[in-house]
Amino acid sequence: MFEKRYLASRFSATLLLLGAVAVAAISAHSYLRMHHPGPDVDRVVPREGFVHKRLSDYFQGLQDTPADTDVYVQEGEQPGGTLLVLGGTHANEPAGVVAAVVLLENADVKRGRLIIAPYANLMARTHTFPQDAHPQTFGFETSGGVRRTFRYGARTTNPVNEWPNPDIYIHPASGQTMAGVERSNLNRAHPGVADGGMTEQLAYGFMQLIKQEDVDLAIDLHEASPEYPVVDALVAHERAMELAAMVTMELEFEGIPIRLEPSPKNLRGLSHREWGDQTDVLAILMETCNASAGRFRGRTGEALVLTGEDKAYDKAAELGRLYVPWESWDKRIAERVGRHVTSVKLLAENLEFVRDDAGIVIEGLPAYTSLSEEGVGAYLRD
Amino acid sequence: MILTWVYWAITVFVIVLVVRSLYREKSLREQFVAAMVLVPLLLRVLFIK
Repeated sequence: MFEKRYLASRFSATLLLLGAVAVAAISAHSYLRMHHPGPDVDRVVPREGFVHKRLSDYFQGLQDTPADTDVYVQEGEQPGGTLLVLGGTHANEPAGVVAAVVLLENADVKRGRLIIAPYANLMARTHTFPQDAHPQTFGFETSGGVRRTFRYGARTTNPVNEWPNPDIYIHPASGQTMAGVERSNLNRAHPGVADGGMTEQLAYGFMQLIKQEDVDLAIDLHEASPEYPVVDALVAHERAMELAAMVTMELEFEGIPIRLEPSPKNLRGLSHREWGDQTDVLAILMETCNASAGRFRGRTGEALVLTGEDKAYDKAAELGRLYVPWESWDKRIAERVGRHVTSVKLLAENLEFVRDDAGIVIEGLPAYTSLSEEGVGAYLRD
Repeated sequence: MILTWVYWAITVFVIVLVVRSLYREKSLREQFVAAMVLVPLLLRVLFIK
């Protein structure tokens, strides 16, 4: 016979086990919504003229894998250069994603070709980091009153797609050692490995796209925390430095303060380093200021993603811990997206000055001031 | 990919150990801790999170 105490313990164990299963089921429902968010989340409405492709069209190894992602190509009537824009390399950097979508929904290419992958790492869009309290989605209202919703993901690939990470990641192309989690970071996985982990295969797919499409200029859209030294900046491979310097000056003339940073030669796996080293492309990465992914932030939600306003960052600015003039800085996502879109437009326009016959003319893009004043929703389609 | 399934098998094994511990534990507090530990393990073994 069981003692009374043991029976009670067994009963409570069963109750707690059922409780754990119930909590897991509720959590599972919430997490699965990130995997299958429905047709209205992350929806894009490309402007007429874009041809829909998949990254697996360039690297068949990605077909039927969670890494395969949409690629849109628009070709102008006049021949010219080819521009590749990646949004969503890091899914927790929303202005990079939204800027790519704004480009996709507004760009009218008159000369050259524009290739856009708005959600570069789809596997990073199916989860958020534990204990970061990030919202699962954020959104905008269009002029027609339709809410456009986007997932707020994580910096790295979901562990369910690539598990476990090693203690130390050895970057295959260079042998450089990094923290194990970097294996799942698309922006440490370039130039990729055809038979590597899912993130390495994804990076390999983009490298094949660059080679097969003979891309002249490749831009990777990011955001950085206000306490990160490289914020509101263009990071350029040495061959792209002349172009980036011209555009930096033009941005300053337009009243958009921007830094210009050289791509560090000894930091491997990054898009601006590996694309530039392995191919003829001019590789540039762009960063805007994103408090929602910063370590100092306080209450985290959609409002922080959209406004960038945060009391904890106000305090950090008082203490001089930030790399942007916080009090006078416009931190709204409309400004950050405007900064990205304007930079892409200027880089495309100036390309012909550094590369013969590679001019690109894109019309239809919103001006920095229009985006900043009217908001992102005004430039998203219903 | 093989390593993924090795880790999956390890996770299943750990779940069995935690459930066993849940039923063998006499302290309600320790049972509660075991139940909390189970949640992420269940999500991981189902490839949800």
